[in-house]
Amino acid sequence: MISNRLLKALILCPILLFLAIASQAQTKTITGKILDEKGNPIVGASIVVKGGKSGTTTDATGHFSLVAPAATTAVTISYIGYASQDLDVTTQSSDVSISLQPTNSNLSDIVVVGYGTAHKKDLTGAVAVVTAKNFNQGNVTNPVQQIQGKVAGLVITTPGGDPNQPPLIRLRGQTSLTGGQNPLIVVDGIALDDPNQLNNIPPSDIQTYNVLKDASATAVYGARGANGVIEITTKKGVSGQARVDYNGYVGVDVNAKKYDMLSAGQWKSALQSLGIDPGSLDKGANTDWQDAITRTAFSHNHTLAVSGGSKGFTFRASGSYLNQQGIVLSSGKEEFGLRFNATEKALNDKLNIQIGVTTTQTNRNLINYNDLTKIFNTPPTYPVYNDDGSYFYFSDFEQYNAVAHLNQEVNYAKEYLTLMYGTVDYQFFHGLTAGVTGSINNFNGQDHYFVPAFPVEATINQATDDNYNTDSRHGNIHINYLNQFGKHNIGFTGVYEYNYYTDNGMNIHGQNFLVPQNQDNNFSSAIDASQTSANTGKDEYKLISFLGRVTYNYNEKYYITASYRRDGSSKFGVNNRWGDFPSFDVAWRITQEKFMQGVSWLSELKLRAGYGVTGNSDAITPYATLLLYGPIGRFYDPANSVYPQAYAPIQNANPDLKWEERHGKNIGLDYGILNSRINGSVDYFDDKTVNLLFDYTVPVPPFFINSILANVGTLTNKGVEFSINADIVRGRKFTWNAGGQITFLKTRIESLSGTYAGYPIKTDQIGSGTAVGRGLSSYPITYLTPGYAPYVFYLPHFEGVDANGNQLFDSAGVKALTQDQNPNPTKYYIDPSPKFNYGINNTFTYGNWTLNFFMRGVVGQKIFNNTRLDFDNINRLPGNNVTKEALTNGIKDAAAVSDLWLEKASFLRMDNASLSYTFQHVKGIESLRAYVAANNVFVITPYKGLDPEIQTQDTNIGGTTNQAYIDVSYYGNAFYPKTRSFTLGVSVSF
Amino acid sequence: MKTKNLIRAGLIPGIFLLFFMMSCTKLDQKVYSVVPDQDFWQTPDQIAAGLAPAYQGLTGIPDGDLFEINESSGGEMIVPTRGNDWYDNGSHQAMWTHTWKPDLGTLDGIWGTIFNGIGKANFTLSVVNALPTPPPGLDNINAELKVLRAYYYYLAMDMFGQVPVVTDFNTDPTTINNSMTRAQIFDFIEKEVKDNIALLPDKSQASYGRMTQWGAWMLLAKMYLNAQIYTETTPGNPSTGTARWADCINACDQVINSGKYTLQANYFDNFSINNEGSSENIFVVPFDKVNIGGMNWEMQTLHYQHNLTYNLSGSPWNGFCSKADYYNQFDNADQRKAQFLVGQQYGSDGSALKDIQTGLPLILSPYVNQLSNPADSFRLAGVRSVKYQPQAGTAGNQSNDMVLFRLADAYLMRAEAKVRSNTDLTGALADINKIRERAYGDANHDWTLADLTLPNIYAERQREMAWEGWSRQDAIRFGTFGNARNPGKAQDPDAHLQIFPIPSPRISANPNLKQNPGY
Repeated sequence: MISNRLLKALILCPILLFLAIASQAQTKTITGKILDEKGNPIVGASIVVKGGKSGTTTDATGHFSLVAPAATTAVTISYIGYASQDLDVTTQSSDVSISLQPTNSNLSDIVVVGYGTAHKKDLTGAVAVVTAKNFNQGNVTNPVQQIQGKVAGLVITTPGGDPNQPPLIRLRGQTSLTGGQNPLIVVDGIALDDPNQLNNIPPSDIQTYNVLKDASATAVYGARGANGVIEITTKKGVSGQARVDYNGYVGVDVNAKKYDMLSAGQWKSALQSLGIDPGSLDKGANTDWQDAITRTAFSHNHTLAVSGGSKGFTFRASGSYLNQQGIVLSSGKEEFGLRFNATEKALNDKLNIQIGVTTTQTNRNLINYNDLTKIFNTPPTYPVYNDDGSYFYFSDFEQYNAVAHLNQEVNYAKEYLTLMYGTVDYQFFHGLTAGVTGSINNFNGQDHYFVPAFPVEATINQATDDNYNTDSRHGNIHINYLNQFGKHNIGFTGVYEYNYYTDNGMNIHGQNFLVPQNQDNNFSSAIDASQTSANTGKDEYKLISFLGRVTYNYNEKYYITASYRRDGSSKFGVNNRWGDFPSFDVAWRITQEKFMQGVSWLSELKLRAGYGVTGNSDAITPYATLLLYGPIGRFYDPANSVYPQAYAPIQNANPDLKWEERHGKNIGLDYGILNSRINGSVDYFDDKTVNLLFDYTVPVPPFFINSILANVGTLTNKGVEFSINADIVRGRKFTWNAGGQITFLKTRIESLSGTYAGYPIKTDQIGSGTAVGRGLSSYPITYLTPGYAPYVFYLPHFEGVDANGNQLFDSAGVKALTQDQNPNPTKYYIDPSPKFNYGINNTFTYGNWTLNFFMRGVVGQKIFNNTRLDFDNINRLPGNNVTKEALTNGIKDAAAVSDLWLEKASFLRMDNASLSYTFQHVKGIESLRAYVAANNVFVITPYKGLDPEIQTQDTNIGGTTNQAYIDVSYYGNAFYPKTRSFTLGVSVSF
Repeated sequence: MKTKNLIRAGLIPGIFLLFFMMSCTKLDQKVYSVVPDQDFWQTPDQIAAGLAPAYQGLTGIPDGDLFEINESSGGEMIVPTRGNDWYDNGSHQAMWTHTWKPDLGTLDGIWGTIFNGIGKANFTLSVVNALPTPPPGLDNINAELKVLRAYYYYLAMDMFGQVPVVTDFNTDPTTINNSMTRAQIFDFIEKEVKDNIALLPDKSQASYGRMTQWGAWMLLAKMYLNAQIYTETTPGNPSTGTARWADCINACDQVINSGKYTLQANYFDNFSINNEGSSENIFVVPFDKVNIGGMNWEMQTLHYQHNLTYNLSGSPWNGFCSKADYYNQFDNADQRKAQFLVGQQYGSDGSALKDIQTGLPLILSPYVNQLSNPADSFRLAGVRSVKYQPQAGTAGNQSNDMVLFRLADAYLMRAEAKVRSNTDLTGALADINKIRERAYGDANHDWTLADLTLPNIYAERQREMAWEGWSRQDAIRFGTFGNARNPGKAQDPDAHLQIFPIPSPRISANPNLKQNPGY
């Protein structure tokens, strides 16, 4: 009781004290209006008393009213994307009007940097910011496509045209051999459990992306920071009048490119010239199977947002709907999203409460990629339909009617994502804020799969249902302190964080259902119940962290930041439960120096240098360190004639197991020229990943199974990033802005050797990617080899064909046949990794018109065209179709792996082009903009496959997808063709 | 006043936070769908389920790579490259031509299969003997696991020669090497089997698919039959080894005289889908189309369109076959000839089949004249085996149990040992004729003493034990292993090819391992 009363008194005491101080002062009211460069009102611009604490924001009409101390001489006006201005209010303090000028430098922008915020000018790490006005437009269905190619060092690849396929995101190269490579995605301060859940956030709700690139910036995320961090801020409401925004588009997608397969006529004449009688293979049709399974796909997307608020309270609520067809039959995606966030300030703005909730439902129409493989095998003379309109069924090795399968297989998923968070902050005194944040992420996925029995193929119907949940709870307590003592600016951040993750799932499989019309909805109708199997699973882990960060700068000239994070995870081995992740960086704003004052053309020059340690614990599953028993199939119990489950160790114990550790060094330079009309940055980084995780081969016995996940090996990433942005023309009517980035990156495996518990673990060369196709299995063609980039090719050299059409290969300087005569031709290492990649953006405005186009490319990359290796072979005739090239390339023997198929795959793609028109002064409407946009307009490349960014094989290492430089061939897995899309959109506010 | 308040304002929540944080750093974690080892082995059913994995390794023995390399390197079976199919970087051809290298992935897989079984046996032994409450019949459990492990070591020693021998699960990995000679490993296996044989289960329904006394005697018989090879001091010269013919005869006597097994009247009943009832099979690996997968005989050998003959649910792979010179060793009266398919093939509806992709009539030819040939007709080269009955409604994962040891082999081994040691030739003749009378259905094709030559016995073994995995071992013993063979196999340069190289990934994982000579 006593302590309670005492506590209240203690908390109230300082509040009352401050209130008293504030009310004693004399005040004056400043009013005015803030406009943009075109004279339109700016909503949400911030007005702060210069050198003081009080401030406000403009309302929906651009007006503001600020009660300030009577002694106030000036206010500072700022808005994202515009240069801040000081306004003298000594003489005139009411009805002032001021126009802000746009800027590219965003120096005063508030940037979210891990558990806090900072002005961009005060950043000491490598952080890139992309705001909504620079997003890619068009048929963007995954949020990160909005910034594809925009950030130096960030490579985003959308491998195919499947609306349900997640993009690959790689920041500053591959960092791990087995672990996940996707950066940590943080939305409004809450880390997503799985980076792919970003796919469930409506793109139109996003305001900014902050990409934390170097280890000194990401070290505050500790054991999860090694792949970089992308912090996403969603749109918020501003106080003032209620505002309604509508964004919508309709779009079409078409197949961007097809393989040049033989038509029925070409197929028949090819057979004739080979002297083969097509016989019953000629069914009389002329089917382009690539066309047969594809279509022109339609999409539409609508987002309606309501935002606003009154003094102290702001909110934004939005609803979105997306419906996107895939170009392959039966594929598509539909998404409903609802978001709400609100901020309430109270107790004289000292108490700040934020809450937010996001819920989305995603319905995915999936397809079985194996169906796609069949379209290249089936002869073009086979019809899709019989004359009576029914399907023409057939069956042969790797052949069936793909259209019939795609249309009749039931394959869909429903996903529900709910994110909730709440933060309460209280400003105890000037500069010191402390608070708590709590959040809950829930994800539920339900997969439904049913394959009917197909005539002729003698298959039986079967069904599989999956239901899985990925849930997490997070809580943190944080203290932020920021204060100025003369020219010394000091900041401190302290965080305690608790994260609990749990997964569970169930799976049921059954077959041969009596009533196939029930599809996957009645497993009990299986004719033989013993064929129905069910399985469930569950796991959990915890991550507990402490974080401290100190920032100091002298007169906004010399900066020092130091941070220290300590992460404890139950995933790690008992001997390595806790890890330490420090960082230290310095910066020097040279332009603040007196000796630079004369150099007026150079408006900003900042030198940064940092070092940090981050971790990647992604390769470690919750129980990876334990000796585990698990079911390993069934055995026959002859006494009872039953088949019980056999149990055996499924995992070697490794109590030493810990996160991979990335030690990053970064030196950077930010520059602004001519009042930041030209600006950008240059960064050099030198990162080293140690304690690399890999499933190493160990002897059995004494180990239970022949692999152990162990921290062995080293990998380096070194690179240089340049970015530039310039307002080339800044006319009143015509403007031209151009920007670009280029990234040079070199990844090398340094070592794959080390020890586990005193036992030497050594692997000189780990085979990874293999060529696939009939008769091509067994041997890897890409390797993890110390001294080379990951997935270096090791291939025979093609020397042409002999008179009989047999392929010749170099064998120690001599041309020799492969297959029977020479099974071991000389092999050569070839590095397929790109030398650099780049992006170029151009925006022109003329009056109300804006034209934007964005191009990006990769130089020096090579891709092994596994598909052509398989199709460019005349031996496939007559039973399978071939490419036209198979008739002319002279190869008459079996498909064989060589450097002939390793193609140059540099490319330049016009990724995005849009033309928009802004309607001025439409009555009752605040702003109205309409646009047309195109994605993947063209691509220039020597690569002969469908696309140089085609889906590449999983490397089958730890189950993660890495850039393996081998296209996923038709055989076994296949690909979803890339699309070209055109959209027509409108955005309106009133 | 002001400073004081500031301190209080910051301090009080600070203390609370600190207190809260200190209480929340526990990283305890529960397991749900998997089990740490100390929580297993609690119930009799769990013990049974924990013993089973040592047997599970057997499912990789009679089918797959281990089977293929033993059959193909010995010459009974060939896997030619047909068009693009079955090239697989020359791995199948290398088995036939004896051009394998230490990096042949197939060998690594085989090593993994065998040593996985050994590892499981060692682990299980270490765990069951450390349980706080010993399970009932611990001595029998130990004996069974040890003899099963001896069988895996026999396979390893037979194929790879000097292999690392580890019997204690808790061995320090850095001490593991292959310094024991092949002869020493032979002695180790022999001792393990003999020390434990009395504790093994007898033949019963409950011991089906397990290592019984009689399976152990068969293992000893195999060891003694090849003892000269295993112990030879000059590679390729069996006379430098120690023959154990009398021990071989004794081991076969134990099995035959036990009266527990009789020759199955119909040869094919030993290999049928429901062959659990065979009175002849001694040691089998149970398979089941639902529960125990991995028996893919029908897929490996049958032609793509044979699914129409046997109503399979998928198109087979058109791989394993045999050549005319081997096939022609069967005469037409020999009922065992029916295990091979040749000539025009028919659908289950009686219609003559065609190779769909080439339109050629599906007429299987016994001639395999090349190792690789993209010609359409080559898709039809080679006779195919239906020794194990294809199972309608499956596409691989058949239910036939696969045979490792059966009584007919005991007769053949005993006859061979008697002939080689020149003892009891009448008995040897009776053994061989028992086999031949079943094969021909009458005594009209019986041998006389004059027929009892080693080449004839070899030929009879090749017929009776066709595609049962003995081809390489028999060819080495009868001296034909290194011979040149059509198509494309040259005379072996020396005897080092009788032992496979230690797979290179194993040496790179354990640098203590010494590569076999010649590689």
